[in-house]
Amino acid sequence: MASLKRSLDADPLAANISNKIYVRSTKSGKVQKIVREVYLRQDIPCSSKLCQKCLALAPSDAAGRPIPFVLSDAPAGTKVFPQGHYLVPDTNAFLTAMDLFEQESAFYDVIVLQIVLEELRNRSLPLYNRLISLTKSEDKRFYVFFNEFRLETHVPRQEGESVNDRNDRAVRKAVSWYSDHLARVKGKTVPAVVMLSNDRDNVRKAKQEGLNASSLADYVKQLKDGEKLLDMIPETEDRDMIKEKKPGDNLYPEYFSMSKMMTGVKSGLLHQGIFNVSPYNYLEGSIRVPAFPKSLLILGRENINRAVDGDLVVVEVLPKDQWKEPSTQVIEEDAITKNENPDAEDSEDFVSEKERKALQEEVKRTQSKTTEGHPQPTARVVGVIKRNWRQYVGHIDQSSVSQSGQQGRKQDTVFVIPMDKKIPKIRLRTRQVAELLGKRILVTIDAWERSSRHPVGHFVRSLGELETKAAETEALLLEYDVQYRPFPKTVLDCLPKEGHDWKVPASMDDPGWKDRQDLRDLLICSIDPIGCQDIDDALHSRPLPNGNFEVGVHIADVSHFVKPNNAMDMEASIRGTTVYLVDKRIDMLPMLLGTDLCSLKPYVERYAFSVIWEMTPDADVVGSKFTKSVIKSREAFSYEQAQLRVDDESQQDDLTKSIRTLLALSKKLKQKRLDAGALSLSSPEVKVQMESETSDPIDVKTKELLDTMSLVEEFMLLANTSVARRIYEAFPQTAILRRHGAPPKTNFDELANQLKVKRGLDLSVESSRALADSLDRCVDPKEPFFNTLVRIMATRCMMSAEYFCSGTQAYPEFRHYGLASEIYTHFTSPIRRYADLMAHRQLAAAIEYEAVHPSVRSRGRLEAVCKNINVRHRNAQLAGRASIAYYVGQALRGKATEEDGFVMKIFSNGFVVLVPRFGIESLIRLRDLAETEPQATFDAETYTLETSGSREIKVELFQKVRVRVTDQKDETTGKRGVKMELVSTY
Amino acid sequence: MPLDTSTYSLGLLRVDGRRWNELRRIHAQIRTQAAADGSSYLEMGHTKVMCVVTGPTEPGPRRGGNVGSAGGAGAASGGQHKDAEVLVNIVIAGFSSVDRKRRGKGDKRTLEMQSTVANALAASLHIHLFPHSQITISLHVLSQDGSLLAALINAATLACVDAGIPMTDYVAACTAGSTSTYAANDESADPLLDLNHQEEQELPGLTVATLGETDRVAVLVCESRVQVSRLEGMLAVGVDGCKQVREILDRVVREKGRKMIQEGTVERGTGLNDMDVD
Repeated sequence: MASLKRSLDADPLAANISNKIYVRSTKSGKVQKIVREVYLRQDIPCSSKLCQKCLALAPSDAAGRPIPFVLSDAPAGTKVFPQGHYLVPDTNAFLTAMDLFEQESAFYDVIVLQIVLEELRNRSLPLYNRLISLTKSEDKRFYVFFNEFRLETHVPRQEGESVNDRNDRAVRKAVSWYSDHLARVKGKTVPAVVMLSNDRDNVRKAKQEGLNASSLADYVKQLKDGEKLLDMIPETEDRDMIKEKKPGDNLYPEYFSMSKMMTGVKSGLLHQGIFNVSPYNYLEGSIRVPAFPKSLLILGRENINRAVDGDLVVVEVLPKDQWKEPSTQVIEEDAITKNENPDAEDSEDFVSEKERKALQEEVKRTQSKTTEGHPQPTARVVGVIKRNWRQYVGHIDQSSVSQSGQQGRKQDTVFVIPMDKKIPKIRLRTRQVAELLGKRILVTIDAWERSSRHPVGHFVRSLGELETKAAETEALLLEYDVQYRPFPKTVLDCLPKEGHDWKVPASMDDPGWKDRQDLRDLLICSIDPIGCQDIDDALHSRPLPNGNFEVGVHIADVSHFVKPNNAMDMEASIRGTTVYLVDKRIDMLPMLLGTDLCSLKPYVERYAFSVIWEMTPDADVVGSKFTKSVIKSREAFSYEQAQLRVDDESQQDDLTKSIRTLLALSKKLKQKRLDAGALSLSSPEVKVQMESETSDPIDVKTKELLDTMSLVEEFMLLANTSVARRIYEAFPQTAILRRHGAPPKTNFDELANQLKVKRGLDLSVESSRALADSLDRCVDPKEPFFNTLVRIMATRCMMSAEYFCSGTQAYPEFRHYGLASEIYTHFTSPIRRYADLMAHRQLAAAIEYEAVHPSVRSRGRLEAVCKNINVRHRNAQLAGRASIAYYVGQALRGKATEEDGFVMKIFSNGFVVLVPRFGIESLIRLRDLAETEPQATFDAETYTLETSGSREIKVELFQKVRVRVTDQKDETTGKRGVKMELVSTY
Repeated sequence: MPLDTSTYSLGLLRVDGRRWNELRRIHAQIRTQAAADGSSYLEMGHTKVMCVVTGPTEPGPRRGGNVGSAGGAGAASGGQHKDAEVLVNIVIAGFSSVDRKRRGKGDKRTLEMQSTVANALAASLHIHLFPHSQITISLHVLSQDGSLLAALINAATLACVDAGIPMTDYVAACTAGSTSTYAANDESADPLLDLNHQEEQELPGLTVATLGETDRVAVLVCESRVQVSRLEGMLAVGVDGCKQVREILDRVVREKGRKMIQEGTVERGTGLNDMDVD
């Protein structure tokens, strides 16, 4: 019998085939051994424009296009390498200092080795993606060299060699090959090939082998503005030194091993979830885990154990004797740890004296009431599955700067206080303290060692002076992860070539007219806020011979201009939504489309997507129709203009009449919605008035409500619901819809109890109808605002609405709780929301206007899109609110006014007051009440805080108070915010 | 863990270091089982299969329905066929893939592969020469790393050649794919030849088999979603790959023949008159 063994060794090409063998563990904990073939070759080019030899054998793709060469023939030089140099960083260099490589002043001509890319991908996917986008950028000249596939640079792992050692060896081998290879280029000065590594051992070995190698810090020092860049090299560089510390120095408990956590979670002993920090108390976190209906508390620095807000962590439930009530105290980090010294970290106690004191009071309070209190289960963090660290905006804490640091260029350690109060102070080492003081800066967290009280980070860049408009706006955008860079050229290339001259084709034979209905003769108009440029929607109505009405909603046909999967579509899907700030709008689509070609401007013809209903005078829908169309809007009204026109009896033209019809119908629609149990919720909304020329904020106004606003809203809701039904019918698995989950009953527990105790009111939450009714009953005849206050508080107990793909939920889950609609989607604002654009494409496919594009049908893709736009939507809202808050602060600057406010939350050492006039809320602490902090007794059962001593007052929940509102620059967060002082309690 | 298929565009290199139009290493042997009528062993990369052909023989008692069969026109029970019946039986070893899992006899994917192989070979074998008989092809999968169906067809072809069953030509098979996923909808995606397991998991692909040196397609199986516009390129690359595979199979057969003459197992000229053995 013939032998089947060793077929490979007999092969003459055996030397060119290698195997990559590795072991991986699956999610279920299985261990798999994977063997993969590797074909070694010699036609992988070095990609240097100097090298003629490689150019000759450059590979080409299936279409015969050769791959372009990347590395410059005259790369930049440094002091040590005046002849120019190519960089070969190792994995650690990218892991620790990706920001450096993204600099524009340096780091060009970089060779990214395959093994480095591979390791980076395994360690951090976001960093990998950033590196990939660097390799695609044309001016940075990053080249990926597939060293593992090139025969000469392939390095088999030796017996007893660790994977890391092998990889380091592979990097050195590649560097040496590059050096030798380039040395063969004749007649020109050859650039040096420099290995960058933070591993001292690796650098030493490379130098032994006669290669150019340098640590990141040494290399950066050679560069022109090296001093500045040096700050961007993170702390972990000195890892070796930290390791030498005695184990007794560790302040935090060690994390469990990954496998221990995994088995723990699997067996139900440990729990996994996202860690959230309380906005009022930086030492209190909570975590919602699937196993329990209510979230678990995590109290104290030690139990939080280096988790940062947003991290995916694993927790262990603490024994019952350690269960506590959630804190009723406000604890702010800066107040307690104000005078810490960033340098002398070790000499201090881990839990500072003040922190301890705060904790004692807490214990006293809990124990005094153990009889009637309801301690909540607490937990401690035992490990972090995934860090959710991003770049944080903050500023340097003035008090942490030493005198010498303010002058010289000596490296100094300071604290950075992030804008986001939930993020702990970050320890930062920098040489440019003097320059950075008083600026908004961007930093990242690098690590949080067990031995370090605060996380360690490094400086990324400065945004500008504190409280300048540009810096604060950019800070806000960064903080909420809004993509604000100008649209790249690839996106602009997708715009119609005619630019602003684009017109609806005159000839009806044009392909643009295909299957489009001509609605140019209808009396269509749009109603929007003053100054609105991106007009998404327009309306019309006309009586029909049978006594019914025809009502049409016309939405900008954005999907005509934004084709699926081109660069513009991709960009829009990433941005997800347009972000409105007080003085700025960050568009989802380029201006040309948003404010001109798509915008349903008056007096010009525009493409639209129309929803047309036939309605009875009682606003019952008899029939509906969807069609692409061409319209010509007769007028663009503002809400106010439209209102005036409707109210003015003398106006009897057809357009005004049709608006009146719409208004009458909309009122009936609204009544129907309310009867079905739609909630009318409330949030304190204000508008900042700007001076027209300097655009400085001058005043704050609460938003007025007009009938015409509700007119537009009702028809948009109706259009959204009709479209949702239609696309769900056509695509039961993949329709993009919006749902609003019913809030869990427990969310309302506190509010219901508060209402019961303070006002004897019942809040029933069985259904949205019951809730709406009971909210209607929450009135205080003496205080008209009380009802709004309760609505504001109820709104905060709600879930947030979300986009989803219909296949991921069962039909009953589609329900929109707030609108009391069975099914809902977003269709009416495609210029500013990506979800609407997707709905447009699905509807176009559903009415067989165009073929179904695969991206509209692929469920995986849609789910990813939904996930992204949910996050973006939320961030856009938060950014908008933060922007208003900033401008309210600016508008109040230097003014002091007395206003009425309402107590909406109460702690044992302070209370939160909402001032409806400005839509702001602020905390008033006990120590703010008088020079010496008054004594206080807090009754959690009746939500009453009574003070004695230096000032005697009694504050209750829902109470109306008089406060003086002034502006104040918060020294610690650097934000200008409002400060409230209690004037009287009435 | 190595990179995934999305890095192709960075260096026009695939996950295992091949270019878009390169086959993996193919190694094949025939007459590996002395006792069998025909046998072969074939490796395409790490996909390893063994094949044993028995027949043409008198039809035995019919076993259960879990063999793929083809040919045997006018199938009356009891094996009274005008043509020989081709029966294919595939056994996938539990250890052949990373996850040790046992595939039952009734596994639908295996059944489908059996019938595909049976149909492909029945079209090339001269089954009309052997009425009332059956040809049994037993395939054993020892190791899997993508392109399994193609490897099975190739191994079966070789074993049939070894068994000396008259046939029109080689049925040579290979797979073709595309460098980006269906959802990515990348207009400039390159076609790929001979997918390994990782590529098969992440990218769209098809299996194609052709008859000899012609462009006649004997098998075309595509189980993944792919844009029609890419299909032509994929098919062209696949057909081209099949020709390369045919070359390799032919070389293996000739090599074996030459060795057998050298060793005196067969005399030159006995039935090999028209075959030029150098």
